[in-house]
Amino acid sequence: MSIIEADGLTKTYRVAQKKEGVLGALRGLYRREYREVRAVERIHFRIEPGEMVAFLGPNGAGKTTTLKMLSGLIYPTAGQARVLGYVPWERADAFRRQFALVMGQKNQLWWDLPAADSFQLLREIYAIPPTEFKSTLDELTGLLGVEKLTRQAVRELSLGERMKMELIAALLHRPRLLLLDEPTIGLDVVAQGMIQKCLRDYHVRRGVTTLLTSHYMRDVEALCDRVIVINHGHMVYDGPLSRIVERFSETKLIRLQFEADAPEDLNRFGEVVRLDGPFADVKVGRSQVAAVLAAVLDRHAVADVSVEEPPLEEVIARVFEEAHAGHDAA
Amino acid sequence: MGILSGFTRYLRLLGGLAVYTLNRELAFRGNFLVKVSVEVIWLGILIAFYRVVFARTSTVAGWNEPQYLFFVGCYFALNGLIEMLFLENCNEFAELVRTGDLDGLLLKPIDEQFLITCRRIDWGTAPNVLMGSIVMVVALVNAGWHPDPLRIATFLVTFACGTAIAYGFMLMLTSISVWMVRNQSLMEMWWLFSSLARYPKEIFSGPWGEPLGVFFTYCVPILVVVNVPANAMVRVLDGPMVALTITATVLLLWASRRFFQHALRSYRSASS
Amino acid sequence: MTPLETLETQDSAEAGSTALPPQHRYAKYLAIFRVSLAERMTYRGDFFLATIFRFLPMVTTILLWQAIYEGAGKMQSEMAGFRYRDMIAYLLLTHISRMFSSMPNLAGGIARDVREGTLKRYLLQPMDMIGYLLAYRVAHKAAYIVTSFIPYALLFFVCRGFFDGLPDPATLGAYAISLILAFLVGFFFEASVGMVGFWFLEVTSLLYIVMTVNFFISGQMLPLDLLPEPWAGLLKFLPFQYMAYFPAAVFLGKIQGTALWFYLLGELLWAVFFMVLARVLFRLGLRRYSAFGG
Repeated sequence: MSIIEADGLTKTYRVAQKKEGVLGALRGLYRREYREVRAVERIHFRIEPGEMVAFLGPNGAGKTTTLKMLSGLIYPTAGQARVLGYVPWERADAFRRQFALVMGQKNQLWWDLPAADSFQLLREIYAIPPTEFKSTLDELTGLLGVEKLTRQAVRELSLGERMKMELIAALLHRPRLLLLDEPTIGLDVVAQGMIQKCLRDYHVRRGVTTLLTSHYMRDVEALCDRVIVINHGHMVYDGPLSRIVERFSETKLIRLQFEADAPEDLNRFGEVVRLDGPFADVKVGRSQVAAVLAAVLDRHAVADVSVEEPPLEEVIARVFEEAHAGHDAA
Repeated sequence: MGILSGFTRYLRLLGGLAVYTLNRELAFRGNFLVKVSVEVIWLGILIAFYRVVFARTSTVAGWNEPQYLFFVGCYFALNGLIEMLFLENCNEFAELVRTGDLDGLLLKPIDEQFLITCRRIDWGTAPNVLMGSIVMVVALVNAGWHPDPLRIATFLVTFACGTAIAYGFMLMLTSISVWMVRNQSLMEMWWLFSSLARYPKEIFSGPWGEPLGVFFTYCVPILVVVNVPANAMVRVLDGPMVALTITATVLLLWASRRFFQHALRSYRSASS
Repeated sequence: MTPLETLETQDSAEAGSTALPPQHRYAKYLAIFRVSLAERMTYRGDFFLATIFRFLPMVTTILLWQAIYEGAGKMQSEMAGFRYRDMIAYLLLTHISRMFSSMPNLAGGIARDVREGTLKRYLLQPMDMIGYLLAYRVAHKAAYIVTSFIPYALLFFVCRGFFDGLPDPATLGAYAISLILAFLVGFFFEASVGMVGFWFLEVTSLLYIVMTVNFFISGQMLPLDLLPEPWAGLLKFLPFQYMAYFPAAVFLGKIQGTALWFYLLGELLWAVFFMVLARVLFRLGLRRYSAFGG
């Protein structure tokens, strides 16, 4: 059985339009105009046990809205979903006991109390047996290296430490499904790496199914094999991370190092990205790589050559742009 | 899970929440003291008003001086109980909706209404219950009251019912903030609405007062909240009125819960 | 508590504001006024519900006093110079007084600005903080009065039986002056309380106490004349009566002749007193704020 089944999930919001100025506000008192915003449109996907999947998309693409529907926080306008076998928005206790949602910008810990107190309260709320609670807590604090910080008031912790506490709070009840919304937002590179490592370790250890949204490609590259790309509420890609580049990028990057200075006429093969002494990088259509390489090697003395995929981040950015342009045209 | 074990679980949770809020409150002692002094001043004002009025008359709407004092004490204690248990939680609800922090609460495997309305105990208003009780005792002594088990039992039951009815109304008011995101004045709205319960219902007389009194007794039973327990203790023990109060409690708790759940369905969860 | 951030000297801000030609300076406050007014009217749901609810206590008040006068057997005579009708008229009129003199969130807002360091936005922009707050408040009051005009007009129309018609023009003039001064007393009083935030971080609590006491001693619960001496005399000497009791009593013609002039002068003096106090506290507070390294 799939852990998540989403069939045609759709969410439309009605947003009141506010008018400018005093007169507008006065009119707004009595009559309002609304605009329909389609946050998510007919999304289909399945997630199997043990998978670690990333939800990619620019801001406002509908990632968070989808996560919120899957966790039962909001009702969809149309469509079906089953999560862990439950309809999420019925919010059955048994359902809520089995998953966790961590939002990078929200905190569920009590600000003025030590994290340990919040953990105790969660133990009561989730009715976790004391021995299980203790072993899970020890395991998690060990994994994240924060054994000494749980007695400190949460407001005195750094952002990274706080995020770790949030993670512990989310994992205390050993959820079968973990939903992460921008788990590393606002963190520095070191803290980001720490959180990624913890998530990976935890995933290996417990095999918990994980769905995460992020717009840091580093998170995604570090954690997920499968990626779902969503833009303007539409799903535009679902598949392995490695195939995204093949699918959306028509070019490859040929990096050349010549014996002498690089020739000036490289731009007839493709877009010259860098030209610096003997070094030159050229972007070339996928199908022409072999022909271009042959031509260059034939005419010039080349010291070194390599062929690379363009950086993932660039490709993704283009995917978003294209979808955007398509959307605007429609 | 059996009903009993479920009940004890919620009771334990409530105890846990009470302890944590007390810890938090003690971290800000100054604030706590101020809250208590505001309440003492407020009780002082109510009593000053009562003294000024009874300096010029011996009866108000059929309530004599000690009876009326008992009413004041009963109102103060009941209102204190409501404020201690629910008011701050309900008041925060609009803010939870606005910021989207409600998400965290909705995800917990526990009754949403319980978690939202009983999350924090406002210890600053806990002394009100005590102060109100002292006023009630003083009034009973002034009235030369003789202990009567039936009256005491009825008083306790209807006092609990009154609290529940007020809670039901507050929950409905709270639910509205799902649609009106900036319902920041719930505290004020509640104050205005509950002002109806602050005086004996016998003041509702005259050509338009009487229908209004009937309306607020039978249709929107806010008038029974303080009146019925106070009446049961120091004036007439009115059987049908007590029965009405109990029925209203059950109906209102049910209706307000349905309304609250309906409101939650419209929750949009502020996009971050 | 949040450490206060570094603060630019206030000189540059002030220099900017004096350099502007005067009409420009007013245009600026006018702009603040307009923006605030629009913001204020955006939340309609709140507003309608609040208006309906606001009249509920009036209903119980009318009924309660009826019961009190009936209980005392004075339905046809008076208590401390107030007939039953006067009493209700008085209590209705205190709402009008409060419409002018109450300043929700003013002191709390100032204290928050100090505590969270947002105060410096006033210091960096070429404008005077108290002036800004005054413009903002006038806008809010204007919006509130405009939007509540219909419901209040309706209320007074329904309750017209409690009034003996409009007072003579001279009294009406004095009433208008007393209301404007009530606004100023209320504004500068609360601003002064807010300035205490420079010294004590938790002003909100102080404010709660002040508000609670004010509810009674300003005469919102009953006319001060009903209180026994020496209380009645004492309270009429304090500034609080101007925020509720005084304008209402003027409208009802309870204060006339020399007494009227005397109390109006008193109201003016209190307004000036609190205006100066707010300024002085602001200056001293700023010095302290900057001395702290901001």
